[in-house]
Amino acid sequence: MAATALCWALRAVQQVLPSSCPRQVRSYYVDWRMLRDVKRRKIAYEHADERLRINAIRKNSILPKELQEVADKEIAALPRDSCPVRIRNRCVLTSRPRGVKRRWRISRIVFRHFADHAQMSGVQRAMW
Amino acid sequence: TSSVLSKDKDKSAASKDSTLDGAAKTQEDGAETPKQKLLDIIGNMKVEVTYRKKLQQLKASESKKQAMQQLEGLDSEDSVPQGITEDTLRGKPLNPELVKAASAVASSLPHNKKQTVSDLLAQLRRHEETTDKQKKRGTVNIRNVISEMTVKRQSPAQRGARISGRISLQLDEDGQRIRRERSSAQSVDSRSLKVGKRLNIFTKASTEPEHALKTVSSPTIWDLEFAKEVAAVTAQPPRNGFEEMIQWTKEGILWEYPIDNEVGMEDDAEFHEHIFLEKHLEGFPKEGPIRHFMELVICGLSKNPYLSVKQKVEHIEWFQNYFEEKKELLQEI
Repeated sequence: MAATALCWALRAVQQVLPSSCPRQVRSYYVDWRMLRDVKRRKIAYEHADERLRINAIRKNSILPKELQEVADKEIAALPRDSCPVRIRNRCVLTSRPRGVKRRWRISRIVFRHFADHAQMSGVQRAMW
Repeated sequence: TSSVLSKDKDKSAASKDSTLDGAAKTQEDGAETPKQKLLDIIGNMKVEVTYRKKLQQLKASESKKQAMQQLEGLDSEDSVPQGITEDTLRGKPLNPELVKAASAVASSLPHNKKQTVSDLLAQLRRHEETTDKQKKRGTVNIRNVISEMTVKRQSPAQRGARISGRISLQLDEDGQRIRRERSSAQSVDSRSLKVGKRLNIFTKASTEPEHALKTVSSPTIWDLEFAKEVAAVTAQPPRNGFEEMIQWTKEGILWEYPIDNEVGMEDDAEFHEHIFLEKHLEGFPKEGPIRHFMELVICGLSKNPYLSVKQKVEHIEWFQNYFEEKKELLQEI
């Protein structure tokens, strides 16, 4: 368990670009929960097609019920992380699970911080 | 002088130029010697004449010398009318002023006037034809001449530029420098071998040394490392926002403007391949719930604009494999 976690951490570490101009590069994920979320997204992407097709067989009134039961068992046999329901849209910068605006993928606190520093394009303090 | 005038009149009648009659009349009217009159006419004509006519007049003066040489072996006057008829038969009539000049020059000569006039007119016609040809293909001939000239003149300048470039950059390997010198020397020295219609203009000249370099040096690891070092050294940090955006666009971080909605999408299939998918249903049984199910699948796929034809075909094939695996199950039912 610890060994696999270490492997994942190593894979998570991105290489620094060998360029002369310094640029901010994200070398680590914010925390382990974010890492697990990234894992789930990857596996869900890989199994998305299969899940779609098996669900098409299951949610069907034409095919015989035995076939649908077999399809139920098949989809249950897929890895648990492959279902998209387990993905949580966390904040990209702080990994906060709640209060995340979908358009910017950041939590409300970070959003306020950037908007006040005029670093959010087209965002202004509301006044009416 | 009377014989001169009569022969001028004959020439005018033969060449069908009314202006010659005017010239002949002026010659008649002039109390001065015909030679002086002719010189005046030539002088007047030269003032009005354009560059092309000047060229042809120069050529006429050159042809005068040739005519002098030709006159030594002259035939009788029988050849003269043939020459004149030839002139008249040719498509383009000569400029009347040129004919005037030719007749004036011929009359100034001591030898047979008609023969000289016909010869001069023939020379002028040939010059006109060559100028017409040159006008049509002028660029190519000029290019030939210029390319030959530049190969000779620019080589020391090019070599100097290359050497100065090498000193400043200090990037090329020694092997590459030597190769370039060799190739440049070969290209200059072996010009005699490559004489012909080959113009070493950009494409051919550039591809030859590239091929030579590639065949000699296989990309070793050291070459790649060196290339990476060179790229790292030459890649200066961007001086302003524009250069930063250029760099980002090269890396793929920034899209290219104006935005092309179909970047990356290269679906060459036509609409009928997207919609009429029944031909892929040949592996399925023709009746039963499975066929019904697959027809619904195809109906849905035909309305899907986001998938490519390949993806749709893969979708159907997956179902085919799935149902084949479950055939035993289905037959129990």
